[in-house]
Amino acid sequence: MNRRTFWWFTIPSVIVMLALMVFPLITTVWLGFQKLLLRDLNNPEWVGWDNYRDVLSDPEFWAAVQFTLVFVVVTVPASMIFGLAVALLLDRIGRGRAIYMAALLLPFIVTPVVGTLIYEDLFERGGLVSWLWEVFTDDAFAVSASNVKVLIVVQYIWYVMPFAMITFFAGLQTLPEERVEAAALDGAGFWRNLWHVTLPHLRLLVVFVGLISVMDAYRVYDSVFVWTGNRFTEAHTLAVYNVRIATAFDIGRLGKGNAIAVLTVIGIFVVLIPFLWRSYRDQIAERT
Amino acid sequence: MILLVVWSVTPFVWTAQTSIKFTRDVASKTPVLWGYETTANAYRNFWLDSDDVNMWGVLAFVLVIAAIAAALGLIGRRARHGWPWFLGATAVICVALWRFPRFWEANDEYDFLVNSVVVTLLTMLISLSIGLLAGYGLARYTGISGAVILIVALGFRALPRTAFVLPYFFGAKEIDEWLTSTGVGSWNFPLIDFPGIDTLQVLDTRLAIVLALVAVNQPFTIWMLRSFFIEVPKEMEEAAMMDGATRLQAFRKVIIPIMWPAIIATGLFTMLLAYNEYLFVRVLAPTEWTLPVAIVSLTGGESSRTITEAAAASVSITLPIVIVIILFQKHLVRGLGAGAVKG
Repeated sequence: MNRRTFWWFTIPSVIVMLALMVFPLITTVWLGFQKLLLRDLNNPEWVGWDNYRDVLSDPEFWAAVQFTLVFVVVTVPASMIFGLAVALLLDRIGRGRAIYMAALLLPFIVTPVVGTLIYEDLFERGGLVSWLWEVFTDDAFAVSASNVKVLIVVQYIWYVMPFAMITFFAGLQTLPEERVEAAALDGAGFWRNLWHVTLPHLRLLVVFVGLISVMDAYRVYDSVFVWTGNRFTEAHTLAVYNVRIATAFDIGRLGKGNAIAVLTVIGIFVVLIPFLWRSYRDQIAERT
Repeated sequence: MILLVVWSVTPFVWTAQTSIKFTRDVASKTPVLWGYETTANAYRNFWLDSDDVNMWGVLAFVLVIAAIAAALGLIGRRARHGWPWFLGATAVICVALWRFPRFWEANDEYDFLVNSVVVTLLTMLISLSIGLLAGYGLARYTGISGAVILIVALGFRALPRTAFVLPYFFGAKEIDEWLTSTGVGSWNFPLIDFPGIDTLQVLDTRLAIVLALVAVNQPFTIWMLRSFFIEVPKEMEEAAMMDGATRLQAFRKVIIPIMWPAIIATGLFTMLLAYNEYLFVRVLAPTEWTLPVAIVSLTGGESSRTITEAAAASVSITLPIVIVIILFQKHLVRGLGAGAVKG
């Protein structure tokens, strides 16, 4: 395909991305240097690095950074290992696989805010878990500042595990039967088989799922917002903290919010640049 | 395996149960697990604006529409050219949505349902049409600019919504002010002169939500579609072009017809994204909500009445999407496999 045709095909998409992603990103950086209040959008005032100084000295910001990092470090490996285990199990099931898969997929396809709400319902007063807890410990279970972080993490793993599961499952379908059998003939047990045959086959998928999971966990908003709302602000992740600062009723500070957004973007790029660079090299290599 | 199913399904069963209970059973200290009286009150309160409606009638209406759509869909699956039948099924559902308020007096929530459907369909349509073109171009072109676009898109895939939602909000506000100050906003455009909209604006319209969603979905769409296009051998369209077809004709007549599985898979993910979106809608559309925002706003109060209602809302929001996904589960799995291997 020559250059001209290529651009004709690609231009609508490129325009959309330029107008609605590149340009807003520049606006974000610009707004980060402004003093701008939600109730008075017409008078931006250039304040230089003030917003950044404000953010970096805000203990709530550092709490949000800390919880976001913990969140990513816990949920990503947990959901991937869990997902791989379930995918292996699912691969061995002969009958009724489609039904099992549909049931296991449910948490992933349900609207995240709805999924979180119904999960939360189990733990609220009168909910199933709350009641079971009371039966065994004589104490009613209540969502509180001390346990909400654990609940957020558990619920997120519940929500996101099917993604790892279904991707690994799709990968397992392409694993040549003979290779497993050959390894088995050589006397390889389950674990050695997993380590030397299955995992190398899934290597690319593991990188892919890991990358996507890190991106998604890092920017999680919906479920954390539903769990915490304005009750447990100490369990806010970066995204929730960011939106709260920017759009809080009447006192929303859009300038500061944008400064946080810029810092968030820098944060994810520090992690991602090696991967992006490698993908770029791969892309170039593919072309020559 | 059973344990796993319990782990993933329990909350849904619990909520479905709650949604058909009477308030007294929900509020009781020990959960009433079976033998309770069932009621559709919660559904009525959530969707309808009247207290004495026979919900069996509503249920019958929904079931009849679903049955007609399902029948059309099944015929479409068997037929050689399926798409007119699928289009027919979609049309039946749309007409039903449109006529429903004539039969029963609906609540605001009903408008949010309509918003959800409109936003989801429009996002899928726009996103897929420009994504297909770009995905094809990126799969076939071997220059460096293709690689640059792909990597930049991958980078954008990683960015949090928060980096976009504030400038979108600010930008939409600016455009609206410009529209008002120049008077363009009060022009009458016959084509976009929807009932209920007197002035042209961006903020707080479905348009704003659709544009935002199309944009954030674009990187994913082009990567996924590109990975499907690469699997298609070049010789296919080259043969057609030998016979005198232009590139675009070859694309439309030869490539698109064999791409349906890919289009369906990508469309499903786009649908999930648009239907499930919360943050953009909340910030960009203070009153033109979609269902996820509506349900979150319901749970502010603590009374048991809202617990059953929220449960009913959850069930009504979840069911359609679950049905669609289960129907197309095969495509979803295959799509993730293909997108992933190349990703």
